[in-house]
Amino acid sequence: MSAIVSVEGLVKRYNGTLAVAGVELAVEPGEIFGLVGPNGAGKTTMLRMMATLLEPSAGDAVIAGESVRRNPAAVRRVLGFMPDVFGVYDDMKVWEYLDFFARCYGLPAARRRRIIADLLELVDLGPKRDDYVQALSRGMQQRLCLAHALVHDPQVLLLDEPASGLDPRARIELRELLRELRRLGKTILISSHILPELEEICTSVAIMDRGKVLAAGRISDIEQRLRVGAVLRVRVLADEAGLDEATEAFRAEPDVASAEILEDGTIELGFRGDDAAAAQLLARAIARGSTVASFARAASDLEELFLQVTGAEPESVGDAA
Amino acid sequence: MTAIALPSLRARLGRLGGSVRGASSGLTAIGVKELRGRMRGRRAFIILTVYLILIGGFAWMSEILQEKLYAGAFANQATFASAAIGRAVFGAILLLETLLVVVLTPGFTAGAISLEREKQTLDMLATTPISSLAIVIGKLLSALVYVFILVLASVPLSALVFVFGGVAWDDVLRGYIVLLATAVGIGSVALFFSALARRTQAATILSYFAVLAATLGSLFIFSFWSTVASTTTFAPDGSTRISGGPPEAIMYLNPYIAQADVLCGAGDGVDALDRNTTFCGRVGSITGANPFGITTPLPMPGVKVDPGFGGVINLGGGDGVNVDGAPGCPANARCAAIAFDDVAVTEGQIFGVQRDTFWPKSVAAWLVISVIFTLLSVQLVTPTRRWRPRLPGFLRRRSSRSPA
Repeated sequence: MSAIVSVEGLVKRYNGTLAVAGVELAVEPGEIFGLVGPNGAGKTTMLRMMATLLEPSAGDAVIAGESVRRNPAAVRRVLGFMPDVFGVYDDMKVWEYLDFFARCYGLPAARRRRIIADLLELVDLGPKRDDYVQALSRGMQQRLCLAHALVHDPQVLLLDEPASGLDPRARIELRELLRELRRLGKTILISSHILPELEEICTSVAIMDRGKVLAAGRISDIEQRLRVGAVLRVRVLADEAGLDEATEAFRAEPDVASAEILEDGTIELGFRGDDAAAAQLLARAIARGSTVASFARAASDLEELFLQVTGAEPESVGDAA
Repeated sequence: MTAIALPSLRARLGRLGGSVRGASSGLTAIGVKELRGRMRGRRAFIILTVYLILIGGFAWMSEILQEKLYAGAFANQATFASAAIGRAVFGAILLLETLLVVVLTPGFTAGAISLEREKQTLDMLATTPISSLAIVIGKLLSALVYVFILVLASVPLSALVFVFGGVAWDDVLRGYIVLLATAVGIGSVALFFSALARRTQAATILSYFAVLAATLGSLFIFSFWSTVASTTTFAPDGSTRISGGPPEAIMYLNPYIAQADVLCGAGDGVDALDRNTTFCGRVGSITGANPFGITTPLPMPGVKVDPGFGGVINLGGGDGVNVDGAPGCPANARCAAIAFDDVAVTEGQIFGVQRDTFWPKSVAAWLVISVIFTLLSVQLVTPTRRWRPRLPGFLRRRSSRSPA
């Protein structure tokens, strides 16, 4: 399948500093693609270049076959963009807000009416049609802003930090909405520094730091590639002496970097091997006579992955939780 | 050859049509949005009502004042007095409305772009196919529509002066042309500052500063320059000549001088002499209008006279004195050299003023300013390709993309 969004060596220089340093990305149709990275990693700069709001210093991005550099006008027609700080106009009703953007895309009146009704239904703002935009809650404004990016039925959606500043309930609603949009065939790019948010909805991610993509692909693929440093948790049914003995035995294994007994009696292993090596490790432990009650890879989530890739201390990731 | 050229021409025309349609739908989008917000509810109605009451009150008061002033002066010439009153009331309304345009226009336009920036809506707008030109023109027009509504709402009030006479319908038209041109000009300058400054506050301050410079500043510089640089010489026949004054272009952007020019020309300047020699005489020294027309024997004090040759007028009398040694003066004729400041002179206009010497230049200057500043604003609003000229879409060749 060919990529619907392909970023080719995109570079953005600001007065000598590199905000985006030669990013290559390929997003396939129908994906929800997450762009993860700490603040200042260049996510917003990248999205703004793709949204034709910033001119790239070098490189190009091709969205649905249209080049951002050569034909920004055509890109705007296939693209919906939601900025990180979404704006609302005062003195405007919900339907007028959507009507305004629909007019900007030159939609005829009959189609505008239909699409506004459909979109309000989609983002669950139907009853708020005649309310003033500034009177909506933040989550509602956020959904309205998402609706504005959909008036021209774009193939690709760029959402910059869509979940920031939302309460948990609004986040869940947003996640459902994004899944619905994916079902409707949209390709969605999301940037976020809130990692768990992305993990649940993204089909693929790119991990960015200091203007570079450090790893990209399906979450499971990245995990596979980054097996080094995975954590195994083993529960052995034994008394204290037995535990110590089992730990020592694990420590002697070639792929095990470290072995510690946790408070609850679980043994945590720093493991360098792949799945096959892990299976052999388990087989040997049972052969040694250890009563293994559970043997599992510690749920390696995006956050862990991210820390491994960027090598950042957890504190510098911002409000990652 | 035509067979090849024709489709490409048609394609270009099609693209031109497309971009015109695009621009017009963008203009409508911005216009509808802005006016919906501004005209919502009773606010606009109340503002309009209060404004008309104020202007009406002001006109009535100036009428009363003028009536008292002329009560004795034209005891036997009621028509003449009525004309003078009519002109004075017209002048009062015109100057008040100029003040209104000068004060209100920056208020409506200085926030047009900067508010969008502050609310982060400009990015959302910029990712739609709407062009920067449509954004700027749409914002400018919808802000000006409100000013225009206020200005045009007062037209019936201004028409009341026809009851008094002394002012013709074309004088009123001249006044409103100056008002509208000034509003467009000031509006586009304020919009430029709005696009330039990050904050609305800064844009507002810059805009009002520019307006002050155009009105008070130009007047100050003009009087300073003329005091320092001009020399007054007295001719043997008692006439006064002023030369080396500042260029009148300094005053082109001063709407008050433009309106004074309209006012002093009203009703062909058939007016009380005292007004001509004082107020309109001074205005004439700036605008180059001779309050007594060109048949006046000698240039009046304050009338701009170029030491160079502008024209020779046979003043009659035949005492053989060739004032200034004007060339081409017939023998035994009394001649004076008068410069006309490239103004078309109506031959044989007796006891009238030179009309339209200044305000059309002021209107033209404001329109030029508005075009320049609008184009600058478009550049500032466009997120990419700043300060780089680009051909309009219908002239550009469609970029041929190599199959990737």
